[in-house]
Amino acid sequence: MQALRLGFLLGLRQIQRSSRWTTLLIIFVMMFTFLNLIAVSGILVGLIVGAERAVRESSYGDLIISPRAEEKHILETPTIVREIEQYPEIRGYSVRYQGAAELEANYKERRSLTAERDVASVKVTGIDPVQEDTMTGLSSLLVEGDYLDPREEGKILIGVYYIKEYAEQYGDIFETIEDIHPGDTVRLTAGDVSKEFEVKGIVESKVDEVNLNTYIPEREFRRLFGRLDQNADQIVMKLTVPSENAALKASFVEDGFANYAKIQTYEESVPKFLADIKNTFNLLGTFIGSIGIIVASITIFIIIFINALSRRRHIGILKGIGINAHVIEIAYVMQAAFYALIGSAIGAVLTYGVLIPYFDANPIKFPFSDGILVAEPMDTLYKFITLFVITLIAGYLPAKLITRENTLNAILGRK
Amino acid sequence: MSIIQATNIERSFGEGDLRIQVLKGISVQIDQGEFLAIMGKSGAGKSTLMYQLSVLDKPTSGTVVVDGVNVSELSESEQTDFRLRTLGYIFQDYALVPDLNARENIMVPLLMRNLPWDEARAIADAALDAVGLQGKYENLPSQLSGGEQQRVSIARAVAGKPKIIFADEPTANLDSVSGASIIDLLGDLHKQGQTIVMVTHEDEYTSYCNRIIYMEDGLVVEERKQ
Repeated sequence: MQALRLGFLLGLRQIQRSSRWTTLLIIFVMMFTFLNLIAVSGILVGLIVGAERAVRESSYGDLIISPRAEEKHILETPTIVREIEQYPEIRGYSVRYQGAAELEANYKERRSLTAERDVASVKVTGIDPVQEDTMTGLSSLLVEGDYLDPREEGKILIGVYYIKEYAEQYGDIFETIEDIHPGDTVRLTAGDVSKEFEVKGIVESKVDEVNLNTYIPEREFRRLFGRLDQNADQIVMKLTVPSENAALKASFVEDGFANYAKIQTYEESVPKFLADIKNTFNLLGTFIGSIGIIVASITIFIIIFINALSRRRHIGILKGIGINAHVIEIAYVMQAAFYALIGSAIGAVLTYGVLIPYFDANPIKFPFSDGILVAEPMDTLYKFITLFVITLIAGYLPAKLITRENTLNAILGRK
Repeated sequence: MSIIQATNIERSFGEGDLRIQVLKGISVQIDQGEFLAIMGKSGAGKSTLMYQLSVLDKPTSGTVVVDGVNVSELSESEQTDFRLRTLGYIFQDYALVPDLNARENIMVPLLMRNLPWDEARAIADAALDAVGLQGKYENLPSQLSGGEQQRVSIARAVAGKPKIIFADEPTANLDSVSGASIIDLLGDLHKQGQTIVMVTHEDEYTSYCNRIIYMEDGLVVEERKQ
């Protein structure tokens, strides 16, 4: 214990008496190493988390009800909706009817029956415009035109991937219609039934679910698709406290909803490939961070080695007057610990106090996601412990090398 | 009663044709309470002899017994512990740790001996008082003159009440006034019964010594009692 105390005294005094600029520089190196470790993987994972968050906000919500495997639609939808309205924890919900149809444009300008038709196979979603907007903020995703008015009929919203002018930047991978803007007329055909719609608006999101979709009021959907039973295809819900979705699911199951539909939390509904990508990015970030750790450990090794080498004679004197080599090693390990602790502490303050709030407010705009910085506290703690331990080893090794030298040679400065 | 018994010690450096034999079979006996001066010209081997006697170096051959312990057989860490508990050192260039203040320089070996912090501090302050450095407890070595630094060095050497103090040219870097006062301090310690082994090449500082050995070319060529 006394050796530890003495080692701390020697280490502390060395830090106190060393050049402030040198100390600051080392702390800076450690801070950037910490940031490299946390922020690089954090941004990589943040890309996927940003995408997940967008899907959750713009499409799936916190809790999803869909048809049971053996059913085409959600059974007893009106009963389920009535029940949903009884739960105060549900901040918003949307009942969706979904089907596939053919969307045709520019048919009035077509002069010949043999000329190529401007058509695209599209997904059609019937919604209550007010419910859907409360749930996903669909009206905020308009890039042209206006949002659906619940009192109107014969209006449609089209996702950008169905419009050639928007989709062509991604190559010829989507079926599109051409030169369509709000006010133009399009025709939806589902089976034998066709209906003309006026384009009310064009929507764009980071979420493909929205970009590859068309929205019409649910009454018109049911007429077009002959769905008279009111049984929907999807009910999505947004909760006041999103993390309570598992508890609410359990409550739904208890209420017997599971007899009529499949109930999933958002986490359960996330496709496996997205989870795999997230894990891969995490691994990639950890790999890049590991290189950062190696660089930092070499830096610390060199710093401590030079420091110990420049104090070789003093180390010799200390050994000469009877100070145990372990005490001297503790002094250098303590210095390394100091640099790692202070650097990491500043890095953590920057990460949680500045970078995360900044990226939350100003996400990095990627085509498929608004990238944020993700740094789970436990993950950060593990990475810090790794950095700390490696720094201690990097501090210990050079001290060990120097203290192993012959005492008299060190005192006299002999090779 | 002898406290150091060195028998036929040799010390050489280098290998093969480059081998240099600095000590050529020296036997020395030093009694408890003695103040011995080792003198000789530069390169005579006096410092090398002192390093063997003071457990800072191991002879190539021969044995050194200090305070009844054959120190040649001790491991590196055992030698360090032996130096801590038995010996005190005064070096030519003071050998203070520059990061520590005067008090801490003295406290460190005391703390290493597991003395409580307050007791080590009190002993350090008393030792500094004894060498005339009252009020300079918290001065760093760089804030002290050469003479003052050597006094701190003496205070550090005596604070642990060592059985033997080794002084390697303690006045070499000092002016004559400071040098004389350092020798006076050593003389006072000797009067209190302290065993001291001092290397010097200055005759005027041997007045307190009761024995002087003269070295030349790695051998003791003359011995004088006074």
